[in-house]
Amino acid sequence: MSWQTYVDDHLMCEIDDQHLTAAAILGHDGSVWAQSASFPQFKPEEITAIMTDFDEPGSLAPTGLYLGGTKYMVIQGEPGAVIRGKKGTGGVTIKKTNLALIIGIYDEPMTGGQCNMVVERLGDYLYDQGF
Amino acid sequence: MEAVVVDAGSKLLKAGFASPDQDPALIMPTKMKRVVEDGDGGDASMIEEVTVDPMVRGFIRDWDAMEDLLRHVLYTDLGWEVGDEGQILFAEPLFTPKAIREQLVQLMFETFNVSGFYASEQAVLSLYAVGRISGCTVDIGHGKIDIAPVCEGAVQHIASKRFQIGGIDLTNLLAQELRKSNPLMNIDISEVEKLKEQYARCAEDQAAFEETQRTWPKETHTLPDGQTITIGREGYIVGEALFQPSILGLEEYGIVEQLVRSISSVSSENLRQLLENTMLCGGTASMSGFEERFQKEANLCSSSIRPSLIKPPEYMPENLSKNSAWMGGAILAKVVFPQNQHVTKGDYDETGPAIVHKKCF
Repeated sequence: MSWQTYVDDHLMCEIDDQHLTAAAILGHDGSVWAQSASFPQFKPEEITAIMTDFDEPGSLAPTGLYLGGTKYMVIQGEPGAVIRGKKGTGGVTIKKTNLALIIGIYDEPMTGGQCNMVVERLGDYLYDQGF
Repeated sequence: MEAVVVDAGSKLLKAGFASPDQDPALIMPTKMKRVVEDGDGGDASMIEEVTVDPMVRGFIRDWDAMEDLLRHVLYTDLGWEVGDEGQILFAEPLFTPKAIREQLVQLMFETFNVSGFYASEQAVLSLYAVGRISGCTVDIGHGKIDIAPVCEGAVQHIASKRFQIGGIDLTNLLAQELRKSNPLMNIDISEVEKLKEQYARCAEDQAAFEETQRTWPKETHTLPDGQTITIGREGYIVGEALFQPSILGLEEYGIVEQLVRSISSVSSENLRQLLENTMLCGGTASMSGFEERFQKEANLCSSSIRPSLIKPPEYMPENLSKNSAWMGGAILAKVVFPQNQHVTKGDYDETGPAIVHKKCF
């Protein structure tokens, strides 16, 4: 199983005829393990900010979550495990595992709940596998 | 069948089928009596009655009592049938611990066998009731006060504040004051509760409050057991306590100041929108004179943008501020359940109670 297969088959899978607009699995340092075709070009500072927020929950909320230049409004996630962001009718879910960050970006008609399900389920699985 | 919306508060439980422009079908007190009957014989003197409060400060504490209460509400009052349960939407207070949420989901799916579940925070629901998705709610309930800024349907938890004071502390304050001025009278706490609802009011501003302290207008009130007491300044003290918590013995700023402070911890681009869409809800906020006093203090506050209160839409019933969380829940239920964004039985069976954190936020 390559990481790319994880992204293409599991993160970008179809739920109720809908799928994420983009997804990626990154390392904690920002290195790309795999990403979908439409995943935005992100900057290392953005990943550093995300990692800081996992360590100190609440640091991203005042400034907002930036990913690939797009600003997301931080909404309730799970401290140290999940960051959720919202932008208009879409948003992003970022799940942290031991070695990786799993990112899913969704837009309407897909809902945040569905994006969470996909990203967090894969995250929990990888966590169990030791990643 | 319509979804059921339940807003369980520390004092009143509001429940009913989701019909957004009507009051909740059922508004009943959350207090319960545990009747302990002695095994042999029906001797009346053996029956002990203990008052049980399943909800304390907004959170469910006594699960067995809550289960019994919900069973009564759902099956007896609202008419659900065993085996044909529908969908249920719960209104939760701010900062509900994850464990409590999971336990509630578990209770719903395993004991009550509901077909769908959704939970949302009361602050967001109150805003839906007035037709907005962004704004700041000040929910002054029986067990707690919540100040929560909401941006586009998401509560900004960083900036939200919760105070462990509420209507119940105001009642105790009133009882204390009454005991001071009517030392010979013995007044029951439930009586004080009713007196509070009748007589508590807010002075127009601090200066007016000082006035009433010196020359108070006296009103005599006859208690059901025939005693008469005089109430005057005590009513004003109760109202003032929200703006000057030092009366209650708390070292905190008044409620308007707290609102401004909590909003300023939100990112600045939403600041104006939040402050100009402030909503007061909760039973205690319907005290006479409270809104005017709030508005006045807001105009005096130091920040550049003044908080201003939202007026509820005309098509909504009168008591909107008391039941706003329930009504918002009814509105949300109409959206969430048909679109299958809720937690279904299948989801629960597959993932377990933790799914509530993923799907409901």
